[in-house]
Amino acid sequence: MEQSAAPRTSLPFSIAWLIRIVLWIGLTLIAIGPAINFVRAATTPAQLVVHLITGLIILGGVYAEIWIATQPGLRNAYQLFQRVLFIQFIAFVILRIFTVLAVEQAYGPEIWMRFAISGLIIGSVYALIAIGYTLVYGILFMINFAHGDVMMIGAFAGYFIFEGLGGWILDPAAELSFLNAYPILSIILAFAGGMLTSMMVGIALERIAYRPLRAAPRLVPLISAIGASIFLEETARLMFGSQTRPYQNPDLLTRGKGIDIVINQAPVRITYTGIFVLILAMVLLAGLYFLVQRTKLGRAMRAVAQDKKTAALMGVDVDQVISRTFAISGLLAGAAGVMWGIHNGQVDFFMGFVPGIKAFTSAVLGGIGNLPGAMVGALLLGVTESVGPAGLGLDFQLKDVIGFSILVLMLIFRPTGLLGEALSEEKV
Amino acid sequence: MTNTQIRHGLRTGLIAGFVLVFLAITGFAFTLATSLSNSLLGFLPSAERGYQGMMLLLLILGIWHGTRAATRIGPDTWMGAVLSGLVAGLVSGLALAIFAILVGRQVEAGVNLRRYLVALSPTAVDLLLLGRSAVSGAVMLLGIVTAATVLGAVLNRALGREALPRARAALGSGVSSVSASMSDKPVVRYITYFLVLALLVWVPTVLNQSLNYTLGTVAIYVLLGLGLNIVVGLAGLLDLGYVAFFAVGAYTVALLTAPDPHGVQANFWIILPLAVAFAALAGVLLGVPVLRLRGDYLAIVTLGFGEIIRVLAGSDALTGFTGGPMGVNSVPLPRFFGQPLGPQHFVYLLIVGVALVIFVTARLQNSRVGRAWIAMREDETVAQAMGINTLRYKLLAFGIGAAFAGMGGALFAARNQFTNPQDHVLLVSINVLAVVIVGGMGSIPGVILGAFVLKGIPELLREFENYRIILFGGLLVLMMILRPEGLIPSRRRKLEMHESEEEAKEEIPPDPSVGGEVFA
Repeated sequence: MEQSAAPRTSLPFSIAWLIRIVLWIGLTLIAIGPAINFVRAATTPAQLVVHLITGLIILGGVYAEIWIATQPGLRNAYQLFQRVLFIQFIAFVILRIFTVLAVEQAYGPEIWMRFAISGLIIGSVYALIAIGYTLVYGILFMINFAHGDVMMIGAFAGYFIFEGLGGWILDPAAELSFLNAYPILSIILAFAGGMLTSMMVGIALERIAYRPLRAAPRLVPLISAIGASIFLEETARLMFGSQTRPYQNPDLLTRGKGIDIVINQAPVRITYTGIFVLILAMVLLAGLYFLVQRTKLGRAMRAVAQDKKTAALMGVDVDQVISRTFAISGLLAGAAGVMWGIHNGQVDFFMGFVPGIKAFTSAVLGGIGNLPGAMVGALLLGVTESVGPAGLGLDFQLKDVIGFSILVLMLIFRPTGLLGEALSEEKV
Repeated sequence: MTNTQIRHGLRTGLIAGFVLVFLAITGFAFTLATSLSNSLLGFLPSAERGYQGMMLLLLILGIWHGTRAATRIGPDTWMGAVLSGLVAGLVSGLALAIFAILVGRQVEAGVNLRRYLVALSPTAVDLLLLGRSAVSGAVMLLGIVTAATVLGAVLNRALGREALPRARAALGSGVSSVSASMSDKPVVRYITYFLVLALLVWVPTVLNQSLNYTLGTVAIYVLLGLGLNIVVGLAGLLDLGYVAFFAVGAYTVALLTAPDPHGVQANFWIILPLAVAFAALAGVLLGVPVLRLRGDYLAIVTLGFGEIIRVLAGSDALTGFTGGPMGVNSVPLPRFFGQPLGPQHFVYLLIVGVALVIFVTARLQNSRVGRAWIAMREDETVAQAMGINTLRYKLLAFGIGAAFAGMGGALFAARNQFTNPQDHVLLVSINVLAVVIVGGMGSIPGVILGAFVLKGIPELLREFENYRIILFGGLLVLMMILRPEGLIPSRRRKLEMHESEEEAKEEIPPDPSVGGEVFA
């Protein structure tokens, strides 16, 4: 259909070179003035090196692109183009990091440490959410777009439990509420409430929005999931309002308090909430890993993920396993929601969206369908995102852009993830 | 036998009870009741009207629920119908009554519920309890809901339990036969075209300013919908970052015609094609790397791109270039022979744009290109084997879709005379997606209807403004489950979506536990 009857007319060798040389010379003539100005703008020798390399990356890339574009009859010109752009991009990133670290030296080691710690904590929360995406994707090959909102519902449940317990004054004289009289019990209650609520939402989601569509073409459940996501967000907005609500922690976990470590004669604070979140997340992840690898349910899940039909023939109740998968991912998302609230101190109806996308990015980063991959990916993403804006010398507003860019680049260049092939090309 | 009916009643009753409490807790019930009482019960004294509206709402919901509770299950007897209706009504009524008592008691104790549940203002709770005390109001609610449900069940039995499905089928075949006759006879078709055209010229002259504005919004969504229709409906590529192209169009016009950040102040009519071209270029550039991905990964990548563009456009780093979070203000209205276009005349401009886009889409759809898109959507591997250069056709779909979006964005910015990052959030993409899906993927009249239903009607029913987005979400899920081919499906799409059902009818009953292979 595509190929015309006549053979592909390619430019004669010499004409291609002619065009190429004309373009190269033209580019050089245009670029030479600004390039000289740019190099002369450097004041220190280090800056001079940086400016020279920057110029080389830009000009070299464009020269290469001209060469590709004038290559007659090149079949995979798109891919070559992409590769050059990618190399240019990576070179810029490396150069930028080098500039910030070695030339500008804007931040000392204690600042990097702070970023890394906060990234690790956020990453561990992402990990809990990412597990939900990966489990569901591994079994149903669908992106549970509403998963971030399941987390939001869990955060709200925890919020209401803390509010309720905080308002339950046991000793009016000392203004001692149940929340502070029995902090550990309160935290357990909040987590239980958040996790169970999210679990129920997850199960209901699967029953109502996904199960009837299991045999439909692939885009259909995704659209349904988007609808469900909007529905959950708006339900929360209509019920609880659109304002941001402060999370009431027990005094034991006051935000901002923590242990100070001295690095480079400056304190680096590791907050109690951070430690708590990190440890709890690790415990939950270990528990999940045990569940998937060692229990009967886990074996059934793995069997269903591999082959639904055969699993059904082997006596696995596929519907039940899928339902329980959603329950487990809901439990973890609920825990993540309460942790998010405790650590960041705020809940609102839209809070699930960005962490949801980030967690999905983590799942993709580690190789979707791959459990340890999701955990590694999440920690990596958390740290990258936290260190990234400073490392690239960008505005901190652009933190989300780094996360989204990683998502886009990963999906374009390595959709199977860092930890190898969890899925074949066909499924991606 | 009665056992199954009781169980069915219990099940539907639980679901209905949940729905009733949901309606109350989100405040939707109060808005509905108020608007019902204002529109239907105008003859009653105004003090009582609200409570009567609430009762009417419960009555309607209960009857509907009753007809559902008594269908299908068990032997077809009066006894069975009343029994399942009674059980269902009692269960759902009890759920609402318990909720009402809990809430009512709190309000009577003077607790400010709005601190946590914003919809439950004292007046709303008063409305829910029909102006009575907590307990007597709740008992009254239970009574009304149960009675209405039993009534519905009895009604269902009296009409014959197959009456509803039959009516629905008759309606469906009626609609499809009308649409079939429209498309089959050229004479009829041309007459309809002419009538529609005459109507479009006439309508804006009689509408007032705000209605014209609404019509303009609908027209912009028709533009966007038709563009996304090419990408999603014809080529089968789910693009969640569609708003990015809309933003490109809007920002091109805003930055190049407004006096502020750059002071170019070019003529709108020159910039309009430029904006379309930029958007198309953006579509192709974005398409080159991402179009190798399939299905849901493509959706997520495009979503990521859309968000990146929005965050960048609104960031402080680019304030000098894009106006930052404040956006671009004082975009001039386009001038036509020296006269700035007012709201009424702008509608004509939009209608011309829509007509152009409809023409292009219709021609493309039935051309070789359109067939290649559809082939790709059905099965990419087979399409490739048939000699279709899939990447090229995908790029074409992406580029044309983006061009339409750019046109929509350009007209949007010029009409509103400003644009800022808030105009280009993900929700716009989702709205457009909802328009395409509700209307019918791949169907031009469907998209137009979808835009009217989803953008036009909510603009007219201002009191439901708050519930518009939840409606979009709910509709996306419901449409996918009940009618994935949309309200006015394209013929091919309809066949495709119900293919598996037809097969299931002909062959063996489907095993619900199997079917994962379809996903792979």
